[in-house]
Amino acid sequence: MDRPLGVPKAEFLDSVRRALDRKPAAPDPAYPRLLDDVSALQVEAKRIRARLIETRPALLDRFAEVAEAGGWNVHRTSDPENAMAHIQSVADSLGVKNAVRSDQEVFAQILVDAPLESTGISVTTVSHSPDRSRESLRSSIIAADIGLTGADYAVAETGSVIIMPRKGLSRLVSVVPPVHLALVRPEDLVESLDDLFLLRRLEYHDKGGEMGSYLNFITGPSRTADIEQTLVVGVHGPKEVHLVLLG
Amino acid sequence: MADIKTKDFSKASAVSILDPQLRRALRQVGTGFDAARRAAIDEVSPKLWDEWREEARRIKIHSLDHLDYYLDLLEQNVTKAGGHVHFAKDAAQANDIMAELVRTRNIKIATKSKSMVSEELSLNPALEAQGVDVYETDLGEYIIQLAEETPFHLVAPALHKTKEQVAQLFTDKLGIPYNDDINALAAAARLALREKFLQADLGISGANFLVAETGTLVIITNEGNGRLSTSAPRIHVGITGMEKVIPSLQDLAVFLRLLPRSATGQRITSYVSMITGPRRADDEDGPEEFHLIIVDNGRSKMLADPDLREALYCIRCGACLNICPVYQKVGGHAYGWVYPGPIGAIVTPSLVGLKEAQDLPQASSLCGACREVCPVNINIPRMLLHLRQKSAESPDPSERSAGLVPNLLAEGYTRVMRSPALLSASHKLGRWQQNVWAAMPFFPFSKKGGMIRKASLPLLSRWTRMRDLPELPKETFRDIWKKDLKEGP
Ligand code: SF4
Repeated sequence: MDRPLGVPKAEFLDSVRRALDRKPAAPDPAYPRLLDDVSALQVEAKRIRARLIETRPALLDRFAEVAEAGGWNVHRTSDPENAMAHIQSVADSLGVKNAVRSDQEVFAQILVDAPLESTGISVTTVSHSPDRSRESLRSSIIAADIGLTGADYAVAETGSVIIMPRKGLSRLVSVVPPVHLALVRPEDLVESLDDLFLLRRLEYHDKGGEMGSYLNFITGPSRTADIEQTLVVGVHGPKEVHLVLLG
Repeated sequence: MADIKTKDFSKASAVSILDPQLRRALRQVGTGFDAARRAAIDEVSPKLWDEWREEARRIKIHSLDHLDYYLDLLEQNVTKAGGHVHFAKDAAQANDIMAELVRTRNIKIATKSKSMVSEELSLNPALEAQGVDVYETDLGEYIIQLAEETPFHLVAPALHKTKEQVAQLFTDKLGIPYNDDINALAAAARLALREKFLQADLGISGANFLVAETGTLVIITNEGNGRLSTSAPRIHVGITGMEKVIPSLQDLAVFLRLLPRSATGQRITSYVSMITGPRRADDEDGPEEFHLIIVDNGRSKMLADPDLREALYCIRCGACLNICPVYQKVGGHAYGWVYPGPIGAIVTPSLVGLKEAQDLPQASSLCGACREVCPVNINIPRMLLHLRQKSAESPDPSERSAGLVPNLLAEGYTRVMRSPALLSASHKLGRWQQNVWAAMPFFPFSKKGGMIRKASLPLLSRWTRMRDLPELPKETFRDIWKKDLKEGP
């Protein structure tokens, strides 16, 4: 059933036009932020990337500080072994038995499976295949004590980790388990929301208009202040979130 | 549509004003939300903040002025991403669309993340009529769903409940032992709702923004219920008002800066989720179907009225409620429908009709605090005045707020104030009257500190019973002027 329900679009838009007393027409002049000239966006993106590389050390400091303020437990190290030791100590302190992780590049850099498994933790990589159905992976996620992911981007302005679920990167791994641990590489970092959205616009138009089904900002633990305006950490999402910053 | 109790505004506010527990809860609004908002703005600098507000306002003006164009673009891009867009002209039609979707897809359990529009439509009863169990999953919404109430606040729907009341509610409705520790209450909600998320066939969400360029629905949340509702069930339906569309992905940045800071003082919320169509063929998880229901339900009337269009720029941050001296006294329920506070006093009469809600625009001292805090710089006082004028000048008496007597008094007042002779005569008359009353054995009022208290004056008693009047002085300014000042020192 693909037929739209309700009023036909043309009729709905007509009534909006009547309210606005307007004829069908594109905005004139065109809206600057809708120009989809890929080469112009590329020039802008190049400028952003050059700036990010130039200012990286300061940016890493700022990201770490803002993320910590936003509720992440930040651990900084550029040494893969130290990163792994930290992940292990987080898992040990929580008494983790089952871990799930995404299938992202960063796990080729930080090899977590073998060390965790050697301490008796079962590690499931959430990536479906002919012999790993989505259903069985979903059960593993529900049973997991911790979810590990990388980041597609990280935003210094807000201390956010950005993930864009797709093949190998489940939506649920970072929200269903009670603890989430994210690995962030220096090259994931952008300075501001403006940087992020410009780069995403370029990717979108570059890929012929494919946005991907989901993009999620994660900033600290799940929280609420719905009862007596009192902050409670950990409602429906993770109560505890760790961020390993590899730089 | 949700039940409309706006006619009871003055009665309901008289009741809430006397409720000590509401007094306590409402006092916290200033010390909690509003103080957090101010601190967040100080951190970014008030100057930059004002630049952001202007940018946001420009985006909203442009989007609403070209709404037909952007809705069209949005629909094309949602469809291109594999989603379905349905347009509903009113609440009944929106609910019918939802009913049709759940019927044809055999849906039994739905989880819902916060959506004010669904409150406006009374979506839950419509779904229940189809045999669907609907669970509100935002903690505040869950509490008011169990209590069978409407939201008290745009951002914190259960603001009016104490932890003891919530604990009792959970004991009664969930059958769990009484425990009024707030952490334990949140944990109980997590436990009860976790299994629902995993069982649900349908996840329902609202939308904070819709990005036309990419066909993306954006939700801004803190608890994680929005992520679960839009990720775990096999179908996701977003339902929202048509005014939420903005042109470009790049336009989002400024709103992500303004909304969390204005609502809760956060730099950003725990989660911002951007959803574009259903899961792609290769994705690990996510709904197989994505539907977007875009609702008018009276909004085109606001769009058509140049004096009210601005109200559609609202991003529902709640800042104007938190600062409002009227909201702080009467609370959210007195407003009688879904949208409380200063912005509710505009949106409600616009959507349900002045006939039902002519008292709401009167419920303001026009102090202007709402406009000052509004992240989109919406001129709320101007619209309140506009609605008052519309109501006063309406040919239909049922749209007028005041009755015959107050209107005559206002008319008389205008005449007197315009004529120096009448004004001076009325002062004399007033002083004479005051002296006569003062000489009587039983005053119809008491005097204290130069104020006339609790007067029960004929015709004026509805005003004077609750308000003290200053005593008329022995001499008017004009007398003093004539006698002493005119010649200069
Ligand atoms: S009118 Fe302005 S301050 Fe009030 S809720 Fe809407 S955006 Fe916030």
